Amino acid sequence: MAEEDTAIAKTFPVKSKLKTSRKSTSNPESKYWKSFKPQPTQTLISSITSLSFSPTPPHDFAATHSATVTIFSTQTLEPKATISAFTDTATSASFRSDGRLIAAGSHSGIVQVFDVKTRSPLRKLRGHSRPVHLVRYPRVDKLHLFSGGDDAIVKYWDVASQTQISELLGHKDYVRCGDGSPASDDMFVTGSYDHTIRLWDVRVSGSSSVMEVNHGKPVEDVIFLPSGGLIATAGGNSVKIWDVIGGGKLLYSMESHNKTVSSICVGKIGRESEEESHQYRILSVSLDGYMKVFDYAKFKITHSMRFPAPLLSIGFSPDCLARVIGTSNGIIYAGKRKVKENVGSMEDPQKRVLRPSYFRYFHRGQNEKPSEGDYLITKPKKVKLAEHDKLLNKFRHKEALVSALSGKNPENVVAVMEELVARKKLLKCVSNLDTEELGLLLRFLQRHSTMLRYAGLLMGLTKKVIEMRAEDVRASDVLKGHIRNLKRSVEEEIRMQQSLQEIQGIISPLLRIAGRR
Amino acid sequence: MIRGGKSFVSSPPAFSNDAKKLLICTGNNVSVFSTSTGLQITELEGHTALVTSVIVVPASTPASKILCYCWTSSLDGTIRYWDVSVPELMKTIDIRFPIFSMVIPGLLPQQAESNEKPPDLFAYVSTKNMKEQEQLPNNLSGQIRLSKKKILSGQIRKCNLTQSRLARGVTLAETQNPELITICSSGKYIGIREKCTIRIWDVPAKDSDDAVLKKIRLHRTKKLSILAFHPTERIIAAGDVTGRILIWRGFGQKTFSISDKSINRGLMKNEDERSGVRGDDDADSCTTWHWHSAEVKVLFFSSDGAYLYSGGKEGVLVVWQLDTEKKKFLPRIGSPLIYFINSPDPSLSSISCADNRVHLLKMPSMKILKSIAGIKLPCSVPEIYKGSCNGFGFDHTAGLVAIRTENYCIQFYSLFDDREISEVQVCERNHQPGDEVTVIVTLVALSLDGSVMSTVETKLPDEGIGGLVSLKFWACGAQSKDFSLSTIIYEPHRDAGVSAIAFHPTRHIAVSSSYGGDFKIWVRNHEIQQKDRMLQNGGWTCHAVGSYKKKPMTAATFSADGSVLAVAAETVITLWDPEKNVLVAVIGECLEPIARLSFVGKSEYLVSASRGSSPQVSVWSMSKLSVCWSYKLHAEAVACSVDDSSFAILALPISSHHMESNETTLQGMEDGMILLFNVGDPVPVVTWFVRKAKGGGLAFLHMTSASLEENISDEKPAPVLLAYINGDHEYVLFDPYGEQAPERSVAHQGSLVGLEETGKFGYASIFGELPEFNLKRNQSPSVAIVPSGKPWETIFSGSSHNLPPLTKLCTAFLESLLEKRTAILE
Repeated sequence: MAEEDTAIAKTFPVKSKLKTSRKSTSNPESKYWKSFKPQPTQTLISSITSLSFSPTPPHDFAATHSATVTIFSTQTLEPKATISAFTDTATSASFRSDGRLIAAGSHSGIVQVFDVKTRSPLRKLRGHSRPVHLVRYPRVDKLHLFSGGDDAIVKYWDVASQTQISELLGHKDYVRCGDGSPASDDMFVTGSYDHTIRLWDVRVSGSSSVMEVNHGKPVEDVIFLPSGGLIATAGGNSVKIWDVIGGGKLLYSMESHNKTVSSICVGKIGRESEEESHQYRILSVSLDGYMKVFDYAKFKITHSMRFPAPLLSIGFSPDCLARVIGTSNGIIYAGKRKVKENVGSMEDPQKRVLRPSYFRYFHRGQNEKPSEGDYLITKPKKVKLAEHDKLLNKFRHKEALVSALSGKNPENVVAVMEELVARKKLLKCVSNLDTEELGLLLRFLQRHSTMLRYAGLLMGLTKKVIEMRAEDVRASDVLKGHIRNLKRSVEEEIRMQQSLQEIQGIISPLLRIAGRR
Repeated sequence: MIRGGKSFVSSPPAFSNDAKKLLICTGNNVSVFSTSTGLQITELEGHTALVTSVIVVPASTPASKILCYCWTSSLDGTIRYWDVSVPELMKTIDIRFPIFSMVIPGLLPQQAESNEKPPDLFAYVSTKNMKEQEQLPNNLSGQIRLSKKKILSGQIRKCNLTQSRLARGVTLAETQNPELITICSSGKYIGIREKCTIRIWDVPAKDSDDAVLKKIRLHRTKKLSILAFHPTERIIAAGDVTGRILIWRGFGQKTFSISDKSINRGLMKNEDERSGVRGDDDADSCTTWHWHSAEVKVLFFSSDGAYLYSGGKEGVLVVWQLDTEKKKFLPRIGSPLIYFINSPDPSLSSISCADNRVHLLKMPSMKILKSIAGIKLPCSVPEIYKGSCNGFGFDHTAGLVAIRTENYCIQFYSLFDDREISEVQVCERNHQPGDEVTVIVTLVALSLDGSVMSTVETKLPDEGIGGLVSLKFWACGAQSKDFSLSTIIYEPHRDAGVSAIAFHPTRHIAVSSSYGGDFKIWVRNHEIQQKDRMLQNGGWTCHAVGSYKKKPMTAATFSADGSVLAVAAETVITLWDPEKNVLVAVIGECLEPIARLSFVGKSEYLVSASRGSSPQVSVWSMSKLSVCWSYKLHAEAVACSVDDSSFAILALPISSHHMESNETTLQGMEDGMILLFNVGDPVPVVTWFVRKAKGGGLAFLHMTSASLEENISDEKPAPVLLAYINGDHEYVLFDPYGEQAPERSVAHQGSLVGLEETGKFGYASIFGELPEFNLKRNQSPSVAIVPSGKPWETIFSGSSHNLPPLTKLCTAFLESLLEKRTAILE
């Protein structure tokens, strides 16, 4: 019955043509990555050389910048603690697997280990003669760490005794990056400016690498992918993925950055209770200011995001709630994802039985929500009509046109005009407009007649209006001004068209040649 | 053979006495619809020509309300008496003149005295003088003017229904055309309107064969279109062509009044007092009301006489309060109104609209309860755009036809069931029935599986500005034919009109050809199934553009396997590979632009049809790339069967050439013929002559639905049916290879539904149906609990008053405590 009712008394408001919707990028994945709302935190003193997350909840993160390591809380994104016991620029902070200790290198060549809570320096590992850019704890092992410096040496340390267990030689240039293997705590990779990435195994006697791959560009960052079988390396404009188990075979080279890729990390699509949770992605940041998300299963960029500054470092929280990006000018873009408070629905407290002695008894059931199986009787929705629609329904055509013109939305005006064309009343309306309303129309035409979407209708209309109302325009100075403006915008459009045509003339032979090949 | 698509609004319908049935004249039959469901219950079959009026015999006692008898009159010259509830023909009176309208005044007063012999029942019929007819064969329209003499072909005559004969020598009036007789609801007066005059007769209470009827005339300067009598007072309302309504009060005071007093009163009134009454017309006063902007087509007094309903071309029902002239409106009915009928139930009435729809109104609130929709009538198209409109879209398997309607919709009509399936609003615009046509849905095409529809609508420019052509693709929802918009393409071929759309037989590819000299191939993007179950429908995008020597492309079609695309470039046929968009071959040279192209089934032949001054139907062989045979025929429609190699052509006579009329001329001119060809053979297999072929359509339908097989179980199940729709959208479905001629009419009972007493009462009428309680849910726990071994929990649960007596419970309880040994009997 309701349907029958609507079928007869339907009123359609006038609608303009639909816009061509741009290819929407909001697939669920980019929605996920956009859900990390990046907000710049307070500016630190200089560029953020590294960012690392604590492996234990609440997953604080440490940022190294100038001669300090600042530990931020992930919840508030505010600095929690500052460690400034460095004599030179601090680099490469790394949390121990239990999150209680943090190690960091510095340009002075000393690797220091701090207690995260008390911030007191516990150990100083001296051995590098040049700035240390790589300090890493293995994934599980709490007793050792490895470091690499500009002296092209990689060292493996016993932290407790502050002694170096082995010295791994092989790189021929600065060692700038490295990562411990998730599969074995005795293995790690390091990348160097000599374009090579070396895989080390401390169990192997002798200080030569187990494997070596050549990236082709100075290596800025190297990470193990979670399986342990693949590594991703960043250097130059490219990120490359290598199969370690397969003997260092290059699987893919992602070259979509325009400047040096400065840092990469593993990101995770962690959505609870969905079959596709825990899909891993490579997040890469580059000096061109772009952060890209790379799906290394499909070898496809799934999301990319632009920041206003060169990006130096990136970190992703293990619980998938935060992503931080450090820039060269000291701003950290920390993005936090909101999670729904998943509070277990508590049992409703026993409701008191309402008796007629309560006032609420008489109000009972008024706020009742319909349950799923209920048959809902809804009020018929009132159709909201705009002013011009109401006027059109009353066949007051000129008023409708003027009402749309005095509104702000050009689409409405064009829609009303199209409807008037369909009723064959547009020109009659135009001839009935008084001077003021004509001014309104001319101003609208001046603004919008050269827009591509409306030009088809409006250019023809403009011609007609000028033809029909020439007398009135001559009589009024205001209208003359409008006409002058109109002329100017039309001339500008013609100029633009000409220059576009010129460009087309230049390009089309090129395309022709390219097509022939 | 199935016939259908009849007009529901050719003559006024009638309600049964209990207002549960609505009797609608549909062609040669009277269809009985249930007012509560809006579905057809039964049909009264028997007349051999159009039924022109149906009159329900009013019930004299409340008990007899459920019985329903009716009188019908028809153009075949018979008056018939029916028992609707059985349904059964009870009496036939042949008066041998086509009856255009009939009223029976004697029915209306309640006949209380039953001991007396009931007086003879008289009907007044509006007939056509057949003698004049015989002088002028071939002329049926009745609008004949001989060079000098005016022929009065219409006659109002009296017919004695009880004795089944025409009252001798009684001809009340002769009119130029047969007119519609209007009757007062008390049965006292009958009237007709003729041009600018109204003639009214006073029907005597005791009517007899030779009773003399007093008559008066009322005049008006404008041509009148309709009149209505007030049920109790001497008030007559008439509508004219300019939209004015005239109300004469106290008509016939002088002539009809028998008592002297009223004569005196009438005489006392001097001429000045009779405001608005023209000349010496016999009426007290005449007032004019003006709201309608166009001709008034509906006038009807409410049964208490307090309101007057009026309607016309605007599609607005206006309710006038008779004393105060206050107006109430039911706007946006969307189509010109033709009839308004009220029912014995004061809360129900019906409006018949020109778009072949009957709306049932809930009365005081004027809400539309149900709509009984017939097939939509052809929409009027400006002459220039006639050529660019195609007729129908057919869903060959489901037996549906998609019809373009006036109010920018596509109506899906089931040919098998003869009822409307759905309506799709193509262009979201308010339709004003009176307006000039400026937006037209020009083309509609359905894909072979019926899942995709494509429409083209054209907005005509106003003095060169604002014209727009838009191509729309629609995707079908699940099963039912509700299409949702998938893609809109504005100006698909710049500003040129689209001449044809064709779908690829198997894949989601479509082609649109334009008069602008190019054709475009559209493909649907792959559907993207997203994780959150939101099926994002892929839109249609242009895949390729092709043109041939900048010639207008006038028709396009895909071959049965989809490997060849044939596009007619004015007079030649170009063949393309739709995948690679490569021109394969160019064949032929017709004299006129080709209007239709079609591959014949899976064969290698292509049929082309061109219109114009030298029309041609040609069959082309694809293997030889040359013409096989051709005819000089104007083909209105071409239909090709999908499987075998036959095709049918609906041919119109070329220009003024007339068919020799055989004995079927009585049923009207046969102005077209259907020719069924086997593709290799230029001699037609079968030929049928048909009427109203202009604007008609043809299609081969495949019968697959099981219900249909049942209906024709007595015959050999026909795999293919040929459907022919004529210019008035009446259709016939028949087996092209069957023995029977299409004239034979076979009843179809498939769509008839029994009259259900679906009227809701009590709780259900207020709150609607209660959802059915899921009994299973109640049962399943009890089933689950029994093996759990704790039946006492369920035995004693529940309030004490609905527990079974304790003696019963006790045994059950004790039984439950006993350990049951599972029987191991294999």
